[in-house]
Amino acid sequence: MADYKLTYGKVNRDLLKTMEAPGRTWYILLAIAIALVALGGFAFSRQIRYGMGVWGLTHPTMWAIDITNFVFWVGIAHSGTLISAVLFLFRVRWRASIYRAAEAVTVFALMTAALFPIIHLGRPWYVYWLLPYPQVGGLWPNFRSPLIWDVFAVLTYMLVSMVFFFTGLVPDLAVVRDQSRGWRRRLYGFLAQGWQGTDRQWRHYTSAYLFLAALATPLVISVHSVVSWDFAMSMVPGWHSTIFAPYFVAGAIHSGLAMVITLLIPLRRTFRLDLYLTQTHLENLAKLIVLTGLIVGYSYATEYFIAWYSANSFEWETFRYRALGDYAWGFWIMIIFNSLIPLLFFVKKIRTSTPWLLTISLLINVGMWFERFIIIVTSLARDYDPYTWGLYRPTWVDLSITAGSFGWFFLWFLLFAKLLPVVSIVEVKEQLPPPVIGEVRNPPTPHLQKGGTGGFDEGKGREKDVDP
Amino acid sequence: MNRRDFFKLLGIGGAATLTGCSSQTPERLIPYLVPVEEIIPGQATWYATVCRECPAGCGMLVKTLEGRAVKVEGNPDHPVNRGRLCARGQASLQGLYNPDRIRQPLLKDASGQFKPLSWHDAEEWLAIRLKELRAQRREIVWLTPHLTGALDQLIDRWLQAFGSKRRLRYEPFAYEAIKVANKLLFGLEAVPTCDLQSSQLIFSFGSDFLETWISPVMYSREFAAMRAYEAGRMGRFIFIGPRRSLTAANADRWVSVPPGSEGMIAAGMVRVIIAEGLWRGVPKGELDRIKGLVDRYTPYLVSQATGITPQDLEALARAFAEADPGLALGGGAAESGRYATATVAAVNLLNYVTGNIGRTIRFGPLSSLSRLSPHRELATLIQAMNDGEISALFFSEVNPVFSLPRSAGFEQAMDNVPLIVSCGSFMDETTAKATLVLPTHTPLETWGDDESWEGLYGLMQPAMEPVFETKPLGDLLLSLAKRSSDSQAAAFTEESFYEVLRNRWRELHRRVRPETEFETFWSEALARGGVFQETHPRRISLNLGGLAKAFQWLQTLGRPDNLILLLYPSINHFDGRGANRPWLQELPDPLTQLTWDSWLEIHPEDAQRLAISEGDLLKVRSPYEEIELPAHLSTGVRQGTVAAPIGQGHTAYGRYADPDDLNANGFGEKRRGGNPFALLPVEPDGGSRGLRLAAPVTLTNTGMKYPLASVSGSVRQHNRGIAQAISLAELGSGEPELDTRHLQLDTRQMYPPHEHPVHRWGMAIDLNACTGCSACVVACYAENNIPVVGKEQLARGREMSWIRIERFEEGPVDRPGTRFIPMLCQHCDNAPCEPVCPVYATLHNSEGLNIQVYNRCVGTRYCSNNCPYKVRRFNWFTYPWPEPLHLQLNPDVTVRESGVMEKCTFCVQRITAGKAKAKDEGRPVRDGEIVPACAQTCPTSAIVFGDLKDPTSTVSRLSHNPRRYRVLEHLNTQPAITYLKKIIPDSEQ
Repeated sequence: MADYKLTYGKVNRDLLKTMEAPGRTWYILLAIAIALVALGGFAFSRQIRYGMGVWGLTHPTMWAIDITNFVFWVGIAHSGTLISAVLFLFRVRWRASIYRAAEAVTVFALMTAALFPIIHLGRPWYVYWLLPYPQVGGLWPNFRSPLIWDVFAVLTYMLVSMVFFFTGLVPDLAVVRDQSRGWRRRLYGFLAQGWQGTDRQWRHYTSAYLFLAALATPLVISVHSVVSWDFAMSMVPGWHSTIFAPYFVAGAIHSGLAMVITLLIPLRRTFRLDLYLTQTHLENLAKLIVLTGLIVGYSYATEYFIAWYSANSFEWETFRYRALGDYAWGFWIMIIFNSLIPLLFFVKKIRTSTPWLLTISLLINVGMWFERFIIIVTSLARDYDPYTWGLYRPTWVDLSITAGSFGWFFLWFLLFAKLLPVVSIVEVKEQLPPPVIGEVRNPPTPHLQKGGTGGFDEGKGREKDVDP
Repeated sequence: MNRRDFFKLLGIGGAATLTGCSSQTPERLIPYLVPVEEIIPGQATWYATVCRECPAGCGMLVKTLEGRAVKVEGNPDHPVNRGRLCARGQASLQGLYNPDRIRQPLLKDASGQFKPLSWHDAEEWLAIRLKELRAQRREIVWLTPHLTGALDQLIDRWLQAFGSKRRLRYEPFAYEAIKVANKLLFGLEAVPTCDLQSSQLIFSFGSDFLETWISPVMYSREFAAMRAYEAGRMGRFIFIGPRRSLTAANADRWVSVPPGSEGMIAAGMVRVIIAEGLWRGVPKGELDRIKGLVDRYTPYLVSQATGITPQDLEALARAFAEADPGLALGGGAAESGRYATATVAAVNLLNYVTGNIGRTIRFGPLSSLSRLSPHRELATLIQAMNDGEISALFFSEVNPVFSLPRSAGFEQAMDNVPLIVSCGSFMDETTAKATLVLPTHTPLETWGDDESWEGLYGLMQPAMEPVFETKPLGDLLLSLAKRSSDSQAAAFTEESFYEVLRNRWRELHRRVRPETEFETFWSEALARGGVFQETHPRRISLNLGGLAKAFQWLQTLGRPDNLILLLYPSINHFDGRGANRPWLQELPDPLTQLTWDSWLEIHPEDAQRLAISEGDLLKVRSPYEEIELPAHLSTGVRQGTVAAPIGQGHTAYGRYADPDDLNANGFGEKRRGGNPFALLPVEPDGGSRGLRLAAPVTLTNTGMKYPLASVSGSVRQHNRGIAQAISLAELGSGEPELDTRHLQLDTRQMYPPHEHPVHRWGMAIDLNACTGCSACVVACYAENNIPVVGKEQLARGREMSWIRIERFEEGPVDRPGTRFIPMLCQHCDNAPCEPVCPVYATLHNSEGLNIQVYNRCVGTRYCSNNCPYKVRRFNWFTYPWPEPLHLQLNPDVTVRESGVMEKCTFCVQRITAGKAKAKDEGRPVRDGEIVPACAQTCPTSAIVFGDLKDPTSTVSRLSHNPRRYRVLEHLNTQPAITYLKKIIPDSEQ
């Protein structure tokens, strides 16, 4: 294909073009995102002013779409780390073009997710009581509470993903610095941390990157396991289950991959990145989705099997209610969108068709949101004492804050798309033959489109960005 | 009552009378009623008085702290209620502190608007009118509720002084059928004593004695004593009537019969008893006459008319005859149809032929309800008003515009009375028609006395300085008399009503205890809450002529084409007077579990036939009037019958009763439940001429959905063993096996067990005693500063009650049995709420309490999610206490703010106080000394609290009772509350 047309210079030009002055569409999208954030902020101000009662939450469903959103966004955050760290460790080459966007999704999704534990509090201004800080009364948080585990798990994950994201950005920021003037040059210069691309810097960079990848990988498993324990450690029928940790991790990756596809397709089109983000990348993601979809579907089936096999009438009633009760529509959305529709990706034609990919990935996003909703709401709506059974109905506040969270996430993503290189310049170049003066005798095989071959070429051809 | 309290009581006599008449606004922080030196801040002073929320006359103690009444409890010395109160009694504080009380005199001006004026001007204005009326010898009428004692006499005297004597004691529920039937049968127009306790079998022919009938707290206590299980036996109870009321829900069996046919069953039973020779103690001559009278009520005929099988009737009759003694009750509001008097006569006869008259039905002491004015006097009054014979109508605390059928025309008749004076505490529909409104003290602010039963003289005293610029009615009458002329002033020599009262008690003193000093007698009466004398029953004999007269009205009731509407007094609002108490609006009706509304109960099959579903807004049309009521589908009414609670549908009774108040409603539309009194026929009951509480109605579905706020999730238990029961046979067969289905517990713990070095507080709740009356719920609201959330929030499931009465239906869907279970924090030893709290806001203390630290709570609500009993309540908002309701707040309990979780504390403030007292006195805490508010007020003593570490305590003993179980025990939460299973007759199993 176009391998030999790609040169270091073209890569620089193409990828930095994404950072040019934005068009009208971008401003419209940004305005929508800001409007949604403002709506959510207004709803939150009502909550602060009047109390948690402006939400539709009630007795017995004390949690509903507040925690749904939290789990949903933590789940979205999983793809980034998976793609950048896990695939990095496995030396999967095709990650190079997509990992930057995936990592951005991770960071922004975590920034969104982390809002919900604060928002959902009855007295959010005391959120710092959940942190173990030295204090005169000698009061510590309750380390037996899964919510405290959550605090640690999510904060750790957020910290590591941010550092990982930033570390990967440094050489690219230097490229941006070199190409810009004025305040931008100063800003990117500061962000590039004095990167000069020396051997020494590359050596440090690569080992730091490797270590961070190794650190981030177990977090993919641990964070969502801990989030799942918010439910599994309780005694609510429908929550108290040992399958929850793997089930939630698979679900999180499922939703995260779907979200990456959802975002990459418009990104590729808008910035004309077809050379960098190819159909192969999306197809590989779709293949992964088939895997996670199967795991999720298996988990659903296992839950039903155990509910039946345990002969626990409370458990069984909860699961019967899920499929046939007041929220059955949400349950069937979850089953169909998460575990049946992704099976279509077995068909090559479908997984290589952009419209299909986009549609299915959107449906998975919806389905995964409903999965969390169904788990949380149906279990609480019908727990042990039938007298207290009750329904949850959202109010405008619940919906506005949910919409606000999407606005918040996309606001960051839109800013990212214009302020940072959405595709890693350095790693793309790594796939290209190094620019040498004179004749190229044995051009190395470019990896860009094949994926998964060859080892990691440490520091090769990175002496300097040379524009031929 | 300890020595210190006694001296305080001695001190208040003078102080209270001085402050009682003053018109200064109490704006000081501590409104001293008691001299300053006797006030110990934080130390409660208790005043004994009488509850005036209904005519039952229960003794009451008012707890005051720093000069403010904060809680009422039953007076343990009072023989009527022995220390217990019902939900309405508990809510009497919300009458005292009601924000809608009238705060100053009001005079209607030419435009028909009330204008405030000063007390001086108001009294002068009225005195001039009275002078004129007296000069013209015009007739004045006084209308009061059920009233006894000094005030009653004073009103009569006052009327006499003005040359009038028309005086009515008006109550919507006047028990006229009972009185007239007793007059006909026994020559005594009276409400007799019913001895439930010593009965072995009770038949209630529509008398809701656990809710509203005559003296519900007393009857609940006696009922529980009668139902207590001992040595394989317990008293049995069968309810006969068209509606499964709360009382019927507590029966072993509800025999559903068409309205008006209860008397036929009683007569049919009498016939069977005589035919089978099962009668007791009836002279031969009488027996033949009786036989002649009931001969037509053959089992076949009764069966045709009522639908119960002849075999069933015979079985019922035999069972009743075997019971020695039995007791048949009749004359409840729910069955006051056309044949009410004849029904009571038949019930009396049933008691008579089984020898129960004189044993379980005793004519002495008689209830003072016997003295209520009959309905026909009211009809005559309305006629006289229309004829222009009445020049002035005075009334106090009655609301005939609301509680009479609209077709009776009382409201229109008022237009023909030139001067209408209302002396009451609240604006209501009748007061709104008054010319002059003179706001009076509530019963908690006044002196007074009450003789609910012969020989029971209850004394009322002000518990605190008046909340508003109001006057006691007695003082007002004296002052008016003195102002209107000099000769009147001479006739009323008393300085104040206090003196009138003391004079009356001087007489009483001479009669009952002349040997002591009067002052001693008086102070003792004040401290005890009255003087209680034994009264011996009168001897009575059957008047056969009267019997025949009573029986001629007992006809077979043909099946009507229309639905028959039955009105029943609501356990929350009684005749409507409780509707302005927010606690009572918020309290779910025990059976329908609905709040803040009235509704029409309709059988599901009738509903299906008429295409009505739950919450449909119906137009209910009787031949007399039409109102709107939302439908509530219930198997608790018989097919062909619909039922509606009395009490809602006010139009001018303050914000909480007001259907237009959107704050209380919150749905942006007015409350739709109309006033069902309006539908009633004006023609009285054939026998007694009393008000009929039934009318034929037609229903039209408006097609509108009306939101009803129910607090109940599922009505069925789904086999989860929340409210368990055991059959009598199973219980009798020795130690019954505990349900071990789920009890293969792995009790290994990762953490060491809790240690309880001194106490471990626990509770035992006897479901066989709990009647579901919900007094505990209101007591808890009062004690623990629990906010009222209003209808909309309640419909969302956000009620704040710490204790709730769960109602479940068991057995066949079309004729279910009812189970009640009080559910509150179980104070689990292994509490699921504790480990999940991230900030230690809820934790276990060394006395076994699961404590909630409001200050530490951040509001994750995880604890509530993890609580299998769902007894935790979250403050969704900061709830308001409109002034002056906030004065009722218990200073010993934190008022919670938005965003924190709360729940039952086992009244930790009482535990602390009890321990402190024991420590002061250098002794251990005694069993029964610390009583939480719910247990304190429970009329049937179903709730027992105590120390589980003390093996001799009642609660320890009960937690080893063979009926014990714990709710959801298989979850290994190890609750501190033990429930004792309800005992059901073997047939239900």
